[in-house]
Amino acid sequence: MKAAAEGAVGAALLPAAQPAAPAGARAPAALPRARQLPLPAPGVELWVGLHLPQLRSARQLTHLAYLAQRFTPRVSLEPPDGVLLEVRGSLHLFSGVAGLSVALQDMCEGLALKPLLAFAPTPLAALVAARAGQGLVSLERAQLVGQLAAVPLSALRWPPQVIERLQRTGVRTVGAALRLPRAGFARRFGAAQLATLDRLTGRTREVRAVFRPRERFRRRHELSCELESHARLLTELTRLLEQLEAFLKARQCGVMALECRLLHREGRMTPCELHLAAPQAESAHLARLFAEQFNRLALPQAVRALELRARTLLPLTPQAASLWQPGEHGGGTGSEAHALIERLCARLGAGAIHGLTLLENHRPESSWAMTVPPSAAGRGGARTTAVSPLTGRRPLWLLATPQPLAVRAGLPQRRGALRLVSEPERIETGWWDGEEIARDYYTALDTHGVRLWVFRERTVPHGWFLHGIFG
Amino acid sequence: MDDPKFARLLEHPAIWRGRSVARLEVLASGFAALDAALPGGGWPRSGLIEILVGRFGSGELSLLLPTLAALTRAASARWCVWVAPPLMPFAPALVAQGVVLERVAVVGGQRPLWAFEQVLGSGACDAALAWGKRPQPRDIRRLQLAAERGRTLGVLFRPRRAARESSAAALRVGVEACGNGVRVTLLKGRGARGVVELGNLSA
Repeated sequence: MKAAAEGAVGAALLPAAQPAAPAGARAPAALPRARQLPLPAPGVELWVGLHLPQLRSARQLTHLAYLAQRFTPRVSLEPPDGVLLEVRGSLHLFSGVAGLSVALQDMCEGLALKPLLAFAPTPLAALVAARAGQGLVSLERAQLVGQLAAVPLSALRWPPQVIERLQRTGVRTVGAALRLPRAGFARRFGAAQLATLDRLTGRTREVRAVFRPRERFRRRHELSCELESHARLLTELTRLLEQLEAFLKARQCGVMALECRLLHREGRMTPCELHLAAPQAESAHLARLFAEQFNRLALPQAVRALELRARTLLPLTPQAASLWQPGEHGGGTGSEAHALIERLCARLGAGAIHGLTLLENHRPESSWAMTVPPSAAGRGGARTTAVSPLTGRRPLWLLATPQPLAVRAGLPQRRGALRLVSEPERIETGWWDGEEIARDYYTALDTHGVRLWVFRERTVPHGWFLHGIFG
Repeated sequence: MDDPKFARLLEHPAIWRGRSVARLEVLASGFAALDAALPGGGWPRSGLIEILVGRFGSGELSLLLPTLAALTRAASARWCVWVAPPLMPFAPALVAQGVVLERVAVVGGQRPLWAFEQVLGSGACDAALAWGKRPQPRDIRRLQLAAERGRTLGVLFRPRRAARESSAAALRVGVEACGNGVRVTLLKGRGARGVVELGNLSA
C-alpha cells in the first residue's frame, strides 16, 4: 500500500522520478533524485502545504500539527483542513523535497489520512496548489506564477459571488486572474481579493501565526512501598507539587484546577480534584488544600503511585506585597480572600461560601438571591448597591417559607398572643405569573418582646403567617 | 495631680499607669449611650466579642448593624462574613440599613466553629458573625487569638445561660428586648460594667 501511495506522489511531484519502486527500495531510489534539486537561496522561505480532504475534526488537525512539529518549528494551521510547514531550514535533514514528502505522507497515513502536498515559496501558494491537487514543486518565486497559472480559482476559496463574477468575465484560473490589470481588479472584485493574489505570488509577504502546542503538566510518582496513611501520601505528593511549582514558575503560569490520581495495585484509581478561586502556583498552599481533600478521602486499598495532572495553565500575575497590613487603610484583601474561599471550599465542599444580591421583585421571598462569593478583585471604593425603593420596614431575618401561626380570637399566636404594633403594609403582586401574593404585613411583638414580621393573607381563609424576625 | 513636676514624672516612658489602659482601637457603635459605656468608646476593632441573648431576635443584630454598615462602606473595606446564621439574612433589609452587599458573604452551616476560626484568622474580613453550637472555653480562646491575628471583629452569639461559663472573649455583653428597644448589660470588658438601655433601636 505504501509503495502505491508513494508512486502516486512521486508521479505528481517529480514527473521524471518514475517508475514506482518496491517498498524496500524506496528510500535509495528517492534520494539521488532529490539531491539534484537545488536548494532555495538562504533567507528564502519554502512552505509545504498539506490539504487533507478526509479530515474529520479540528482535534485531528491539532493532532497532526503536534506530529508535524518534528519536521519544523514553524507549523501553521489553516482550518478546517490545511496545515502549512516552513521547511527551508530542515530540508537537508530529510533528504530534500522527495524525502520530506515521503516522510509527511507516512505521518498522515499513520492517522489514516491521504494528504495532497505542494511545495512553494509562499504559504498561500503551497496551500492553494495542494487544494487544487497539483503536486507543485516550485522552489523559487520566479517560476511560481507560471506554475500556478492552471490552478482553478475555486482553490482560493473566495466568496462564491466573486468567483461567479470572475467566471462570467471568462476568468477561470489563477493565471487568468493574475493577468488582469491590478487597479481594475481591485475595483471590480474587491481589494481583499487583490491582497490575496499579492500574498499568493509573494508580492506582499505573509506572516503566519505559528502553532503553539497547549502545555499541560502530567507527572507520575511511583512510591517505593504501598502507602495508606494520608500524612505520608501527602509528603510524597509534596514532591510532585514542588515539581509542578517549578514547571509553573518557569512559564509564569498558575493552575485553577488540579487532579491528583491515587493509583492502586488493582481496581480503579481514586481521583482527588482541587478547584481554586484564583490561579495559583505555590506548592505549600496547594499541599495544604490537598491535605483537606485527603482527609475527606476514603481509600479502598493501599496506594501504589501518585499522578498529578494540570490541564489548563493560566497566566499568573504575581501579587506585590502591600506596604499596609490587611485591614489598615489601603491594606489589600486580594490573596487572603482567595485563600479563605479555597480553604472553606476544600473542607466544606464547593458552595460553602456565597454572596448576596438583590433582585427586582416586590415579593419578599424573591427579592434577593445567593450569588458567587464577592470578588476580592473589586475591592476598595464603596460601591453603591442599587437600593430598592423600600416603602415599609423589612426584617433582618427572613424565613425560607412562611410559617403558619395559630389564631385565637382573631389574633395570631406564637408562644402567647402577638401584639400588632404597626400599620398594615399591603404587598399585592405577581398576578401575571401565577405566583400571586396578596398579603397585609404587620410588625408584631411577642410576649418576650421579640419583633416579628407577620402577614395575613387577603384571600380566604385569611391565614396568619410568620415571615421574618427583625433581630 | 496638677503638680507640674508630678505630671512631668508621669510622662516618663518607663511609667505605666494601670487605669489608662493602652488606647484601644475601636469602632463607633452608632449609639452614643452605648459608646460611652463600652471600654475605649466603642466595639473593639479586632478581637472576639460575645453577645448573649435570651431569645433569638431580641435586637442583637440591630445593635451591631450601624457598625457593620460603616465597615462595609469604608474605602478599603474587607468582607463581612456571616458564619452559620440560623436563618437567611434578608438582603433588602441589609441594604436599607446601609450595608454594601458586595462586601457580605455567608458561610454554610457545617462545622461553624472551624469555619469561624478560618474566617477570623484569614485577614480577609473586617467583621465576622457566628452562631456557634456550644463552643468550649478552649474554642473561644482559639477564636479570640484568630480574631487578633486577622485584625477582625468577631462576634459570637450565644444563649444567655452561657454567662455562667468563663470566656476568653475581650468583651461580653448581654442583650434583651425591653419595650421598644434593647437593654445591653456589660458582663465583661476592660474596666467596663453597667447596664445601658437603648430605646427605639430599630426605628
